[in-house]
Amino acid sequence: MNIKVVDPALFVSVDPVVLRGSECRDCSAQVFPSMESCPMCSSIEIEVVALPTSGTVWSWTTQHFAPKEPFRTDAFTPFSIGYVDLGSLIIEGWLVGKTDWTIGESVRLVLAPAWTESGQQVFTFGFEAVTDA
Amino acid sequence: MSADDIYIVGAARTEFGRFDGEDNQLAEQAIRGALSDCGLAWSDIDFAVGGTNGETKPDNLVSRLGLTGLPFVTVKNGCATGAVALMTARNGLIAENMDIACVVGYDNHARGAFNASPARYGLGEWYGATGMMVTTSYFALKIQRYLHEHGISERTLGYASAKAFSYGEAHPYAWRRKPVSVDEAMDADMINDPLTRFMFCSPDAGAVSLVLARGSRAFELCDSPIKLASVALRGRRPGSFEVFSPWLSPGTRTSPSIDAAKAAFESAGVTPSDIQVAQLQDTDSGAEIIHLGETGLVAHGDQETAYRNGDFDIDGRLPINTDGGLLANGEPVGASGLRQVHEIVRQLQGRADGKQVPGNPRIGFTHVYGAPGISACTVLINEGEHP
Repeated sequence: MNIKVVDPALFVSVDPVVLRGSECRDCSAQVFPSMESCPMCSSIEIEVVALPTSGTVWSWTTQHFAPKEPFRTDAFTPFSIGYVDLGSLIIEGWLVGKTDWTIGESVRLVLAPAWTESGQQVFTFGFEAVTDA
Repeated sequence: MSADDIYIVGAARTEFGRFDGEDNQLAEQAIRGALSDCGLAWSDIDFAVGGTNGETKPDNLVSRLGLTGLPFVTVKNGCATGAVALMTARNGLIAENMDIACVVGYDNHARGAFNASPARYGLGEWYGATGMMVTTSYFALKIQRYLHEHGISERTLGYASAKAFSYGEAHPYAWRRKPVSVDEAMDADMINDPLTRFMFCSPDAGAVSLVLARGSRAFELCDSPIKLASVALRGRRPGSFEVFSPWLSPGTRTSPSIDAAKAAFESAGVTPSDIQVAQLQDTDSGAEIIHLGETGLVAHGDQETAYRNGDFDIDGRLPINTDGGLLANGEPVGASGLRQVHEIVRQLQGRADGKQVPGNPRIGFTHVYGAPGISACTVLINEGEHP
């Protein structure tokens, strides 16, 4: 199946979903999205890495008003965004499935529907709560 | 006093709020006010610096003020523009061996939150398209984490708002002059958890101008010149948490505000405990709480008790944002940092436009902070008689 995403450069793969970061060969710092130089030590010895797919909520907020353009949506409803601590770095993304969160909650990476374009669903990445099962 | 000490001898600001005229009308009004404040004419100015975040050219203000041939530098550093303009003017006077400088900061923004372009910040279109290019969510994410790390209650945000609007109510040039209670601030519409409608400043219009003089010339021009004891500008280091960041590095958090404040205190030879009146960047109520800690004015985690005790009120231990800050004045980006300096100058001269800090405060502090991770701080001192 051809899954359309907001920007293919963000992903190592979309099924299963894995984010594409970069790591500095000199100082080991990881960044997302991938960059061609290291903002920590200025090195240009960089390699692409697959980022961890689970972590914990580091901070969160719920967006109660529709952002201006270039924000795209089919129909706005309040949504949460957060920073998720993946261990090697902390990344910003949607928190999906609810709008009230707790710092420290366990979450895992998912694809989340963002908007439709020419009848096709476009996905972005997000994190959903991991429920103990 | 050294021959290279720089003093503020004239200060003026416009009312902040909505403005229908041209941006440079505002700037001209502030400059003419500052000149009048110290009895100088535009032709007396040796060096000028202007800052705006808008599209007009500050250096073209000479077409309104007089073609005297003076060097006029333009700066554009986001929320730090005003402080950078001040620093540039100080440096210009010292480096060029000149005596009198004029600084102006102004802006006239459209209503509503700033609409930022991902490409301008080196980000992909996806970042804006998915609704993350939003300044209010950044402020919310930052204070949410800070409150958690330091065990501070959300109600502290309400205290910060109520304080700001109480000061604004008394200030003739503030935009928001209607008091807001702690409960009203807490119960208002949620914008981005945990921040409500009464916890954000809005972009608006305004201009501020200062006249600087070097060495003994300052005491000829002003009965009560205020020494620019230090001004320090710093950028972000690894570990800082800035707006429009798709990622953060783990580990110890740093901040350009911590670095700029430390440098400003050291350069002026004072400590945070010496400060008697201060201005902090309060783009939102949470920012004031964070910046109280980052500048060292209050220990991290002690903010809640300090607000409850009234420490930051006009008769408290350390009055903060006595003109209502950004919350009550809004943020014309280019003018905002100079508004802070204007307010401290007036406080140290005993002629505050709004509430006056009692007991003749002598040492003040200002702090601006903004995208993409820069901060500038000043220490201002009334030395009393001609030293």
